[in-house]
Order: sequence, then structure tokens, then C-alpha cells
Amino acid sequence: MRDIFFDLSVRSVRLNFLRSILASIGIVIGVIAISSMGMLGTNMQLQVKDQLSAGANTIVITPDVVRMGPPGFSQSGSSTSSSSSSSVITKAQLSKIRLAAGANASAIIPVYSTNTEFTLGSVNGRGTVYGIDPDYITRFLTIENGTNIVGANDALVGSSIAENFELKLGSRVKVGSTTSGSRAEVRVVGILEERGMAADSVSTDNAIIVSEDWYTNQYGGKNEYPQINVIVKNIDTITEVETAIDTRLNANEKTPVIRIRDASSMLSNISSTLGTMTTFILAIGAISLLVAATSIFNVMMMSVNERVQEIGILLSIGTETGEIRRMFLYEAFILGIIGAIVGGIGSLVIGYSVVSAMIGTTDFFFLPESIAYVPIGMIVGIIVCIISGLYPAWHASNMDPIDALRSE
Amino acid sequence: MDATPLIRLADVSKVYHLEAGDFTALSHITLDIMEGEFVALMGPSGSGKSTMMNQLGILDVPTTGEISISGKNVARMTNLERTHMRRDVIGYVFQKFYLIPLLSAFENVEYPLILKYKKRDNTGKAAAVLKSVGFDDEMSAHRPNQLSGGQQQRVAIARALVNDPKILLCDEPTGNLDRKTGYQIMDILCGLHNEGKTVIIVTHDPKIAEYAHRTITLEDGRIAES
Repeated sequence: MRDIFFDLSVRSVRLNFLRSILASIGIVIGVIAISSMGMLGTNMQLQVKDQLSAGANTIVITPDVVRMGPPGFSQSGSSTSSSSSSSVITKAQLSKIRLAAGANASAIIPVYSTNTEFTLGSVNGRGTVYGIDPDYITRFLTIENGTNIVGANDALVGSSIAENFELKLGSRVKVGSTTSGSRAEVRVVGILEERGMAADSVSTDNAIIVSEDWYTNQYGGKNEYPQINVIVKNIDTITEVETAIDTRLNANEKTPVIRIRDASSMLSNISSTLGTMTTFILAIGAISLLVAATSIFNVMMMSVNERVQEIGILLSIGTETGEIRRMFLYEAFILGIIGAIVGGIGSLVIGYSVVSAMIGTTDFFFLPESIAYVPIGMIVGIIVCIISGLYPAWHASNMDPIDALRSE
Repeated sequence: MDATPLIRLADVSKVYHLEAGDFTALSHITLDIMEGEFVALMGPSGSGKSTMMNQLGILDVPTTGEISISGKNVARMTNLERTHMRRDVIGYVFQKFYLIPLLSAFENVEYPLILKYKKRDNTGKAAAVLKSVGFDDEMSAHRPNQLSGGQQQRVAIARALVNDPKILLCDEPTGNLDRKTGYQIMDILCGLHNEGKTVIIVTHDPKIAEYAHRTITLEDGRIAES
């Protein structure tokens, strides 16, 4: 049943239109502040996460040996590939990894790599050569221009190398030490998208990607992998998969034989830092809502104090105290609703502008975790209004009718 | 007529505790008012008329003694029951009219109906009562500040009557009106008395008190003459 006292409050708000609108502006600003700030923080988080999360779903497994540098430096060419049997992952270990990862893995990718020199025409340079099964390449790398490896001598090149050497599709690159007499030659069939610092330890920007077969023909070491990347289907299961692999491969050894790592801990660190920042930004928004609450409280108290005699009349002609309370609470609620609706629309406009100006992209603006701040801001605004109206409403309903009537 | 009085005051005292000491506004008042009576309450300023009015209108409760209205002891009623009695059994007419300034004459009269039935009036009762005090639809649409004093008091009487109360309590109803308009208002009250309402009127004016069938004079919180 519709409450008649709600209608009476609507009437009161309408009759005191200007004052009511002024009070609502406080809430409008508060809602806009809290929504926009929240959206700004969330969009910042989403944007940074998106930039960092390339390879975040990947577990990187390497042999557990003390190395003289980052992965890739351990084996400089074929001459050192047989120097230590423990510096590679064996085929047997790979099978165990497959068993351990089971259905949680969407791909298990052996990655061969070494550092070498290239020559294009007369220009020399240094970089990494990765040997990867072509079927797996497109699972985690993006070919910007050209096609994947098909022929035996086909190769993909990273974006920096392509730029620096002015490589085009069809260019031929000599690979191997410049002092070596017989150097192999590959043909560029594709150029990769810029990748930056990748969490899966496959940094392609300054590298050449060749097929597994070409690599092992050139450098040897077939089925002796310096690195295995396991891409999990669901990033939430990454720890589970890691534990399974660790148990299966490291359990029976006094010293661990493989190292398992992923980017999730780094990501979670960054997310939690960004989360703290978002909270901080939200707190600034909340302050404006607090100011709005004070102004609503003020207006409601004014409304009560201006109408003391009216409240006295209402009480004396038989209005229940609960009804008086309800009238003033409804009034606060209506101010809140007006403020929240206008504020909600305002936060869409202002939030969008702020996000686009400060983050530089609105790709994430309409995602649920971002846009949710609009209804959240609106609800918080309404709740703040009702809370601000509690005391004035209680104050109004507890007046002594005789004193109230006598007041001028 | 019913033998039990509509209003019974038994040894009623009202003491206000002030910083300067206790002030006795009413002292041991015992009084019966029967249904259908027209009573005038007289007395000089500070004699306790207003306090008496507040007691009769159950806006306040006595310090000692008992007040019964329609056989019900006011002191034993809950706040809500007292509120409902004010709404349903008693109609108030004040010296300063006390209409709600933001509402039209019609809405002012409709208000007690809304309080009682929790919905807008669709029975035509508010309009009918306004008509009985000489208001047409056009006049009813006016706000109180667009009306003369006499017109405002008519609206106030209509508001007091709309829930069909047994008792009409009038606190100096002609105090803010010129003599001629005052008599017109008194004529309306007389008419209501003739229709069976119990009318209690507080006044300074002996001429106004003459309309009543019984005059009670208060002095220093006691009944001096009855």
C-alpha cells in the first residue's frame, strides 16, 4: 500500500522546492565524487593489470642450477649444451610435468633459447634465438605482420629487431657467430607484435623465433629443454598446478631439480598497491559525501525548526509521533533520491571524462567492476541522506505539542 | 442524556517545576462536563485557563488527580491512544487558527481525515464540512494567507469537525477577530452545539461567555465560580 505520508512529504519537498534542490546538490556532488573516484581507481587498476598480465597465466619451469645470468645465457651455443646434464629439463621430466599439470594446462610449451649474433646484409647485431614448436607459437605470441613458420628455414622476428635492421617479410638473416665460417640462414615470414618485458621469460622484441627442429638441428640438445612454459586454463588454479608439478618432480630429491615460478605474486603485489590507492581515492570522495551529509542534516534541521509550530499543530490534531518521524525521513529520502539520480547521471558523464582524461582509455569504463560505482555511489548517497535525516526526524517527533504550538 | 459525564476531572492538579520553585497552575480541580453541554471557561490571565485547556485536550497529563474522557482514564492511556483520542474524539479551535500555511483550505481540512483513514479524502466529507461553514470550492483552494481572519477561523472549525468529534475545544476562538466576525463564529459554534456537540470555550469576553449555558471561572488555579 502506498503510504499517504510519502505523498505528504513529496508535497512538502515540492512546496519548499528551492531549499530542497539546494540540499540535493550536496548529495549530487557527493555521489559524483564517490562514483567518479571509484571508477577512476578501478579503471587505473584494470588498465595496469591488463598491461602486466601478458603471460601472467604462465608457469615458467627451468632447471634448478646456479646460473651466471638470466635464462638464455646458460647455454651459449651448442658447445656448452652438453656441459651439464642437470642444466636442462629432460624428456622424462617433461612427461612428469604433463602428468602433473593434467587438464588444468591449456598448453605445455618447451622453449629452447640461446644468445647469438645475427647479420643482415652487412649489418651485425646480437640477440636471442628461441626454438619453439610453430603450433604453439600463436598460443602466446601475436604475429603482427606476415604468417607463422611453415618451411624449415622460416623465422619470426621481434618488433625491435625488425625495426633496427629494417627487416621486411622475405628478408634473409644469417644466424650464428660472425667469426664462424658456415652460418645458417633463415627467411623472415612474420614480424611479432611488441611484447615488452614478458612475465613468461620469452622476450621476443630483440629475438628471432625459429622452429624447434631448426633450432635442434643447429644447436643440438634435442629433448633437453632449458625452459618449459605451462599455460594454465584458469589463472586461479595456477598455484594448484605449481604444487602438483613441484610434488611430482621435486619431492623425492634432496635438492630440487627444477625451479617453478610465475608472475602472479608480482601481479598480486601490484594489484594490492593499486587497491590501496583506489581506497585512498575513494576516501577523498567519501569526504565530499560527509560534507553532503552535513548539509542534508543542516537542511533537515532547518526544515524541522522552521516548522515547529506546524509540527505542534500536527501533533495536537492527532498525528502519531511515528507519522511525523516518517514524514521527515521520507523527506530526507526524497532529497536523497533526487540527489542520487542527478548524481548518477552526472557521474556517468564526469566519470567518463575523468577516466578518459587521466587514464587515457575508456576501454574498461563500462566493465561491471567500474560501472558498478554508479549504483554504489547512488545507494551510498541515499543511505547518507536517510542517516542525516534520522536525528531531525526524531527531534521533530519528540516535541512537546504545547511548546511547539506556542513557538513563533 | 447519559448519566456518566463525558469529561470528568477528579482532584486534578498541575504543578510546573521551574527553577524559581514549583508553580501550581491548577489546584485540586474537580469538575464534570456532560455530553451536549456548552461551557465557557473564564478567568484573568494566569488563572490556569490554558493549562486547563491542555488538560481537557489531553495534550498534557495532570501531576495528580484523574481525568476521564468518555469514561477512559487519560493517565492510563498510551501515547498512541491519546493521539488517537485527539484525532477522533476532540476537535480543536485555536485563537491563532493554527492552519498549516503551505496547504490550501481544503487540504487543511482534509488532513485529519488523512490521519484517520491513511488515504486522501474521496468521500467528499472535507468539501461538505467546508460548505457547512460557508466555503465553496473556489475559496477552498486558497492558502490561509489569502484568507481573512474570520475565514481562517471557519476553516479551523471545519478542520476540527471533519472527524466528527464529540468535543469541540475552542481556545479564545474570537480573540483575533473583530466583534462582528467574532459573533458570526459564535453563531457557528452555537449551531454545532444545537446539533449535539459538547462545546467548551475559553474566553476573556463576558459577551462571548453569554453564549454558553454554563460558565466556569478560574482564579489562581482554582474554580472560583461554577
